[in-house]
Amino acid sequence: MSIPKLEFPPFHLPPEAEALRVEVRQFLKETLPSLKTEDRFSSWNTRSSEFSKALGKRGWIGITWPKQYGGSERSFLDRYVVTEELLGNGAPAGAHWVADRQSGPLLLRFGSEEQRQAILPKITAGECYFSIGMSEPDSGSDLASVRTRAEPVQGGFRVNGTKVWTSGAHHNHYCITLVRTSGQHGDRHKGLSQLLVDLKTPGVTIRPIINLAGRHDWNEVTFNDCFIPEECLIGNEGDGWLQVTSELAFERSGPERFMQNFHVLRELVRVLGRQPAKRAGAILGRIVARLWTLRQMSVAVAGMMQGGKSPAIEAALVKDLGTIYQQDLPEIARVLAESDATTEDDMADFLDVAQYATMMAPSYTIQGGTTQVLRGIVARGLGLR
Amino acid sequence: MDHDTREMLLDTAGRFFAERCGKDIVNGVEKGVWPADFWKEIEEMGLPLTAVPEDKGGVGGNLADLMAVLRLAGENAVPVPLAETALAHLLVSAAGGTPVPGPATVVLGGLALNNGRVTGKVDRVPFAGVADRFVGVANSGGKPVVVVVAKANAKVTAAPSHAGEPYGSVVFDKAAYEFSGDSAVSADRALELAALARAMQMAGAADKVLAVTVEYSKQRVQFGRSISTFQAIQHMLAELASCVAATIASAEAASRDADEGGLVDGGSFSIAAAKTQASDFAQRIAAISHQSMGAMGFTHEHILHHYTRRLWVWRRDFGSESFWGEKIGAAVAKAGPQALWPSLTSSKYAA
Repeated sequence: MSIPKLEFPPFHLPPEAEALRVEVRQFLKETLPSLKTEDRFSSWNTRSSEFSKALGKRGWIGITWPKQYGGSERSFLDRYVVTEELLGNGAPAGAHWVADRQSGPLLLRFGSEEQRQAILPKITAGECYFSIGMSEPDSGSDLASVRTRAEPVQGGFRVNGTKVWTSGAHHNHYCITLVRTSGQHGDRHKGLSQLLVDLKTPGVTIRPIINLAGRHDWNEVTFNDCFIPEECLIGNEGDGWLQVTSELAFERSGPERFMQNFHVLRELVRVLGRQPAKRAGAILGRIVARLWTLRQMSVAVAGMMQGGKSPAIEAALVKDLGTIYQQDLPEIARVLAESDATTEDDMADFLDVAQYATMMAPSYTIQGGTTQVLRGIVARGLGLR
Repeated sequence: MDHDTREMLLDTAGRFFAERCGKDIVNGVEKGVWPADFWKEIEEMGLPLTAVPEDKGGVGGNLADLMAVLRLAGENAVPVPLAETALAHLLVSAAGGTPVPGPATVVLGGLALNNGRVTGKVDRVPFAGVADRFVGVANSGGKPVVVVVAKANAKVTAAPSHAGEPYGSVVFDKAAYEFSGDSAVSADRALELAALARAMQMAGAADKVLAVTVEYSKQRVQFGRSISTFQAIQHMLAELASCVAATIASAEAASRDADEGGLVDGGSFSIAAAKTQASDFAQRIAAISHQSMGAMGFTHEHILHHYTRRLWVWRRDFGSESFWGEKIGAAVAKAGPQALWPSLTSSKYAA
């Protein structure tokens, strides 16, 4: 009887990464109190260009990239530590998040020399922000069905189509857009390409899509006979599917998939007080154990990536477990606080925090690959499909 | 033990368990048949002495080596007190004694040593019914002392576990001991080590549940196709794989932390978290595997229950998710909200 083993070999972040952690903590301690953000509890969704620029000055955006593009040539594990410290300390890192996590690495891997030189130093300075142009009204989980068309014309492409759920497009500078450059809608993975689209390009219209919590994060981005110069093609024409898949691996493996609402847990600890009742302590401890396990698994995935492996199945599995944990957390915390908060004031305030987290929770198991898409990936890893 | 020696040990032990620990042996234990030959072979291989130093007659492996062996034992539902005897030997050798062969078990909790006699009562002692010796960490005027009490001096009331293993209550009423020695570890630490052993056994059992369930789903044909091709089944098994992977990952991380941090207090938080996690996921793992295997998996004939019943029992052994969860929760609350993140990143109760 043999099935592929899903092992997460315990991995230690190396001493230089732990030393960097100390530096990052000190920096955040000094920087965070002075920032004004609209969100009471910041996360990787909260934007502050002031913060992103300060972080860029320290060399902590694009930290793994070559120095010639403004990077610091540090390890993937150093990046892991910076990322988790931003999340653990509630830093408003939303402005540069996507550029640092996936757009920059994509350009580094597939982009032209001109694209890299023009864009990457601005990203590392914390000044240049990116959106992801994948989903469309008729293409969500089934990404290969995109209809946005880029028709080759003299000197470039004429783009027509619509992207949706485009986070931050109303603030960001660029959107890496998955388009069909050849073939038909039914050709699936063939004929797709990625374009580096300046969001100020004439013919690009950005309209808000308000989410259920009343926030304007998402947008609808329409392209109406929009001319994109040929030097904005990323990689080879027709390689879009391969490129977008590698981009999604970056998107799925990070600690933001279980640290997004860490503030709920931290605030729960506050309202339960220093000596909770036995039952409340046990429930709190079980949540902490779950989060600790997720972190061990995520660090193990980082270790595998540093070791040159591509743990796509393991990353999907961590995102599945992590996002469901994030969905459970506000509910467990709310019920616990209702019975065990130590003061009335604390409780009223906390229930508000938990309620807001509950409203945001449906998004966790949708964005970056739904639970069902992830389970399909894991099932394939088990040899079931 | 170097890497190659360890790999060889694990390879040998894994093959031995798979070949020798068939369902007849596991079912036999449930009927009260002690597999004397099987135990003898385990002792001949030196497995209960894995973490005992060579100068005490042991194999000279470290804690992580022992835990890796126990994961394999869990993966094969080994129905003899290998974990308990290995822990007993470890405690005795760390207290200056020399382990004596024969099945033993650990009696953890509330023992007192006064005037050369041991007193105390502990319930749900694993393999109490077949142990030649009982080993515990007794309180002797505030100091932890390892005591070894022979079967003849203990009162055992049989209370088989729901997995059919010979558990029971053990009473020492001013019992004489065979050996006593100043303990290298506290009584609480002995419980941690036992909890780690169970977490690793649970990791092994969980892994086997996944393997059995996946294999079955590929072979079982309904509606003209193997049920593994149904998306509903695929998603259930993917969730099962997540729970199993989390159980293994947390137990392995705790094993590493315990080993690296040393016998006295290494990986204290990690062990608590891993046992909490393993116990918490046990039900989901059992539920999904049984749902996937239908009536077949619910029979006594099939081997699935060798593993799911053990998961249900082991999650209560040496501290359940409530016990360890409370320990973590109390420490986290005491340290306060600002300490939470630093504690998590350093795997400590409070940083």
